[in-house]
Amino acid sequence: MLSLNLLKVRLFWRALRAKSERLKAYYLAQKAILATNVMEAPLLAIDLEMTGLDAQFDQILSIGIVPIENGRLILSKAEHKLVKIEGSVGQSAAIHGILDHHLDGAVSPEVAMAWFADKCHGQILVAHHSPLDLAFLQKGLSVHFHQTVKLMAIDTLGLEKRRLMRQHEVLKEGALRLGASRERYGLPVYAAHNALIDAIACGELLLAQISAIGQGDKVSVAEVLS
Amino acid sequence: MDVQTLTYLIVGVTFALYIGIAIWSRAGSTKEFYVAGGGVHPVMNGMATAADWMSAASFISLAGIVSFTGYDGSVYLMGWTGGYVLLALCMAPYLRKFGKFTVPDFIGDRYYSQAARTVAVICAIFICFTYIAGQMRGVGVVFSRFLEVDVETGVYIGMAVVFFYAVLGGMKGITYTQVAQYCVLIFAFMVPAIFISVMMTGHVLPQIGFGAELIDAAGNGTGVYLLDKLDGLSAELGFSQYTEGSKSMIDVFFITGALMFGTAGLPHVIVRFFTVPRVKDARISAGWALVFIAIMYTTIPALAAFSRVNMIETINGPESTGVAYETAPEWIKNWEKTGLITWDDKNDDGKIYYAKGPTNEMKIDRDIMVLATPEIANLPAWVIALVAAGGLAAALSTSAGLLLVISTSVSHDLLKKNLMPDISDKKELMFARIAAALGIVMAGYFGINPPGFVAAVVAIAFGLAASSLFPAIIMGIFSKTMNKEGAISGMVIGLLFTASYIVFFKFMNPEINNADHWFMGISPEGIGMLGMLVNFGVAFSVSKFTTAVPDDVVAMVESIRFPKGSGEAHDH
Amino acid sequence: MDTSELQPITDFIQGLVPFDSLSHSTLARCCKSLSVGYYSKASTFVPLDETDPQLYIVRSGAFEVRSDDGELLDRLGEGDYFGFPSLLSGEKVSNRVRILEDGLVYHLDPDTFDYLRVESRQFDRFFNRAFAKRLRHQARFKAKELTTTSRVSALMSNNPLIIDVNASVCEAARKMRERRVSSVLVIDNHKLCGILTDRDLRNRVLAEGQDGSLPVHQAMTTQPKVLSSNALVFEAMLLMSEHGIHHLPIVDDERAVGVLTSTDILRGQSSQPLLLIGEIERQSNLDSLISVSKQIPLLLQNLISADARAEEIGRVLTSVTDALTRRLIILNQALLGEAPMAFCWLAFGSQGRQDQAACSDQDNGLLLAHEPDEAASGYFEALTKAVCSGLDQCGYIYCPGDIMAQNPKWRMSLSQWQSKFARWVDTPEPKALMHASIFFDMRSVFGPSSLFDSLQDKVLANTKGNDIFLAGMANNSLVESPPLGFFKKFVLERDGSEVKGIDLKHKGNALINDIARVYALSAGIKEVNTAKRIRALMEQDIINRKDALNLVDAHEFIAHMRLSNQGYQYTHALPISNYLQPKHLSSLVRHQLRDAFKVVHDAQSGIKLKFTRSF
Repeated sequence: MLSLNLLKVRLFWRALRAKSERLKAYYLAQKAILATNVMEAPLLAIDLEMTGLDAQFDQILSIGIVPIENGRLILSKAEHKLVKIEGSVGQSAAIHGILDHHLDGAVSPEVAMAWFADKCHGQILVAHHSPLDLAFLQKGLSVHFHQTVKLMAIDTLGLEKRRLMRQHEVLKEGALRLGASRERYGLPVYAAHNALIDAIACGELLLAQISAIGQGDKVSVAEVLS
Repeated sequence: MDVQTLTYLIVGVTFALYIGIAIWSRAGSTKEFYVAGGGVHPVMNGMATAADWMSAASFISLAGIVSFTGYDGSVYLMGWTGGYVLLALCMAPYLRKFGKFTVPDFIGDRYYSQAARTVAVICAIFICFTYIAGQMRGVGVVFSRFLEVDVETGVYIGMAVVFFYAVLGGMKGITYTQVAQYCVLIFAFMVPAIFISVMMTGHVLPQIGFGAELIDAAGNGTGVYLLDKLDGLSAELGFSQYTEGSKSMIDVFFITGALMFGTAGLPHVIVRFFTVPRVKDARISAGWALVFIAIMYTTIPALAAFSRVNMIETINGPESTGVAYETAPEWIKNWEKTGLITWDDKNDDGKIYYAKGPTNEMKIDRDIMVLATPEIANLPAWVIALVAAGGLAAALSTSAGLLLVISTSVSHDLLKKNLMPDISDKKELMFARIAAALGIVMAGYFGINPPGFVAAVVAIAFGLAASSLFPAIIMGIFSKTMNKEGAISGMVIGLLFTASYIVFFKFMNPEINNADHWFMGISPEGIGMLGMLVNFGVAFSVSKFTTAVPDDVVAMVESIRFPKGSGEAHDH
Repeated sequence: MDTSELQPITDFIQGLVPFDSLSHSTLARCCKSLSVGYYSKASTFVPLDETDPQLYIVRSGAFEVRSDDGELLDRLGEGDYFGFPSLLSGEKVSNRVRILEDGLVYHLDPDTFDYLRVESRQFDRFFNRAFAKRLRHQARFKAKELTTTSRVSALMSNNPLIIDVNASVCEAARKMRERRVSSVLVIDNHKLCGILTDRDLRNRVLAEGQDGSLPVHQAMTTQPKVLSSNALVFEAMLLMSEHGIHHLPIVDDERAVGVLTSTDILRGQSSQPLLLIGEIERQSNLDSLISVSKQIPLLLQNLISADARAEEIGRVLTSVTDALTRRLIILNQALLGEAPMAFCWLAFGSQGRQDQAACSDQDNGLLLAHEPDEAASGYFEALTKAVCSGLDQCGYIYCPGDIMAQNPKWRMSLSQWQSKFARWVDTPEPKALMHASIFFDMRSVFGPSSLFDSLQDKVLANTKGNDIFLAGMANNSLVESPPLGFFKKFVLERDGSEVKGIDLKHKGNALINDIARVYALSAGIKEVNTAKRIRALMEQDIINRKDALNLVDAHEFIAHMRLSNQGYQYTHALPISNYLQPKHLSSLVRHQLRDAFKVVHDAQSGIKLKFTRSF
């Protein structure tokens, strides 16, 4: 866990180096949220579907987002965007279930990134296994802002891992997957999967995790940010 | 105004009357009425019973049957009247003392068996279905003539009207509605009869005109008596003599018996005896009902004879050689539209001619007789319209009662008591309504494809009742040793025997439905009586070889037969 | 966004009653408007925000709803709801939701909730019903001990004695003597600023050697403890014992409206039913019984203000009547000597059914073990005359229909009663049926139970399965119907041009009593109390469970409406009647009342079908 001040400095530094006002404002807004209680902070649970796991070569297929305000997932503001890709979804369709023809109404990656940059402004991202998702988003946003962009997120997988380790549990294969983690909190099993549902599932998991960590006490954003 | 408009008007007015009475009797200060010590007067209740009793069969079809078959038709008159007396005097008081409202409930309790009750329920439903089919046919005939559609469409319209009346409307079963219906139907029946009687014999009462001399147009006596004239006409045209029957003695005996005992087993009339609180009043109203029924029943033979003479004379003309189709009276053309009269000009002389045998060119449905009579006699249009309203009143009052028996038997006796004991009130009511609707649909089917004329269909219902329910009731009252095994097997075998005989001759082999093939010369209409004897026989033999009746049931039967504080003992 | 992307949520919501009644597009709109929250056991209670009411839909976990005084009202699990009462009533949340197991909860905002209520009648009805159920449930728990829940307003003395702050203590003492009270409220510029009691006069004036010209404000107790008139008596007792005081000014909207003294509370407690009954049993003559019976109206008022269930109120009042009757019989027997034979004092009608209300009249009779000779007749005539007149003087007026034990017609031997009942059953004339509705609700108040049982057993054996009699009874009970017209609008009764309102007794409770009686007689059930009858019928599977529960609820609800309406009439100085003006009701209560009447209507159709074989 990174200390609050260290995080603040880092964000301040990033803001200084930001070329566009928009990006600068983004970093500063994040900095302002760090000390707040997670249950009160503006969060944005996200999930991506990709053609593969390598941000260098693979592409984003879809993005699901759901904002969390005052500890509640706001479904009316939840969104799901399909993104056009070059070439075919190929073998990856077996994992995410998105076929080429599903992408007929999809938006271009440029439009998708502009949309996402807009949506994540002033919000702290939440994702399950966030490094992977962030890598793809950073790549896309860097193109959008013409500058390297660094993102931060609350990683529900990371939180879960730390919690289990602290309890000295032996981690079984797959124990940290989204579904398995949710099960430990008694959260319902969602049969269907897409980027949006997984984003919702991830958001709900975070709420459960924060309740478990805090035991009713306040937990600040900085404490759970990876 | 033409007949059609008048029909709409008069039928409309009578319906408004029924609905009005229903609303009045509901909204009115019924409570004060009760407190005043009122209750329903026995005369009123007698009228209501008579309305329940006199169905479309009595109103529409009976005079037709008598008119066409003469003496043979009188079996219906005798059987039904006798049955009513039997019911009112020998059965209703005992059943009443037993405290049971319906025949299946009596049988179920008397034979201490749910199975017996269920068998009785099924018999009752079966009988009601058949009976109601006759009503639908009657209503169909009325509508077809006055709305100038064919009989089938008439039945469909009738189904809709009866459904509205019996299932949706809240006006059935109210004594005063029934009283109004009796008034309408008896008025509608008597007016044309009196008119014709005056025209043909100069006597106001048709019952007297029946045995009187005919008069000519100037009002002078001709010296020819009505029945002689009719016998002469019949002989001339090759029919058997009007005053002599064509049916064998044994058949007449059996049909009369079936009708009589069947009447006594009919489920929907018995209930009327129980809606009067005091036994004494029940007897008085039964007596009044008999008077009110007799008014109509004694008129029937007269009306039948008048209209027969009139009909033959208008068709065959004064010379008895037939009249030209172009100059034929209006009523023939009107009824041709309904398909109930057909003319087949066999000798191509352009004349219509009615007789027995190969020279006959007219096919006339008997069920039109009462309805057509006013037209044949050239009576004013409003009389014709009135008869339509009367026919509807007769059909409605009877079918409403029957549908209630069917629907409540299905919903309460079959579903609630047997199949779905935990059913909610709302569902029970819904099933009752569905059962009533189904009853109407099935009755409508048989109304369109009738196995006989209205009165004959009804006669079958009576036969079924005679062979199944009547013996069980009688033995329940008068035998202390009859047990459930005997009663159930009697009912089942009696019903099966009768039903299969009827189905065999009426539906499967209608071409051999004549005296030569009948068992002992008994027609399907009369087989119910034999079925009844079979029922008795089976029941007694079975009961001999099965377990004895429990003591409490024996005590119960004894207490029914020997009255002990049976009601009006002394007033407080 | 395509809602199919919210599939798991839509699927779940769609599976819930009443959401299953929503159209596809409405459901989609509903699901999209949800927000999702997570509640952890660690925080004990779900934080219910008063300014932001929501419908809470439990997705997982377990919760329980408790009233503000901690009574358990409901346990909730997956697919259950909470928070709807304040959505429907617009009132602030008073219940608390305890988290038993961590859970996920969907929130539906009030706008969407209202939209769905407009969209779907079923949706609307479901929550109205649930709310009604919750309310009644709550009422059931509330009516516990009287002292803890009855309101101060029922006991306090109105029109308190007041005096200006600058008046002299002498003047105050004079006024107190005139009004024969032990305290006076001191007013400064229309506001309460203190209280002066007997004790103050003693301790601060006399004992200090002050003279009578001392201004009141120097002797009074300043800033006295006060309560509002709708505070609980329990709170008042607590306050008094904590501060060792005997007088509490009652203040509403800063205005002094009354004073509550510890004597008032003591007096109030004695109108608790048990105490009252005990008191009745201690009295040794008619005069003292009459004076004790003066407390009965107060008891009723207390019970009403304590929100007791109508069924319980009826039982409590009836048990007091029973005790009075018994005491009167015993006192008179002491005068007349031992009875010449065993007898039972029979209670009929509302006393029999145990649902007496205010100003009931007498319905009673006498059951004798055998035919009395002349001497015995004389004895029982004297006894019954004395008891009936005693009851009359205690506030139970003579029966206008003369159904009373003092009428020789209703003073009969066992065999006479048996044949009387048998005659009613065999000849169900309208008059017999009217009698039946009173006499068949009979209960023995005094006398050997074996004697009464031999009457009741015989009667029930006669009625059980006697379809003709039952059809007559059913028809008789169908003469009146609930006041619902076409399209379920209330039908108001009119007296000339004046609208009298809805007759809650004759078109509501009486109909349910009739229905329960027909069923009970058909099945030979001994209970006579309507609610008990229905429950017994339900246990014997004679009435469908759902129908039975609905009927009991409707009975309680209508009876409750009647009592609270009479309470309203009482406090607004209107003549007490059974007529309710629906315009005084909120739309929700109107809705519930309509539903209750609908239940009565359905039950009537039920007995019409079952017993009279028509519909």
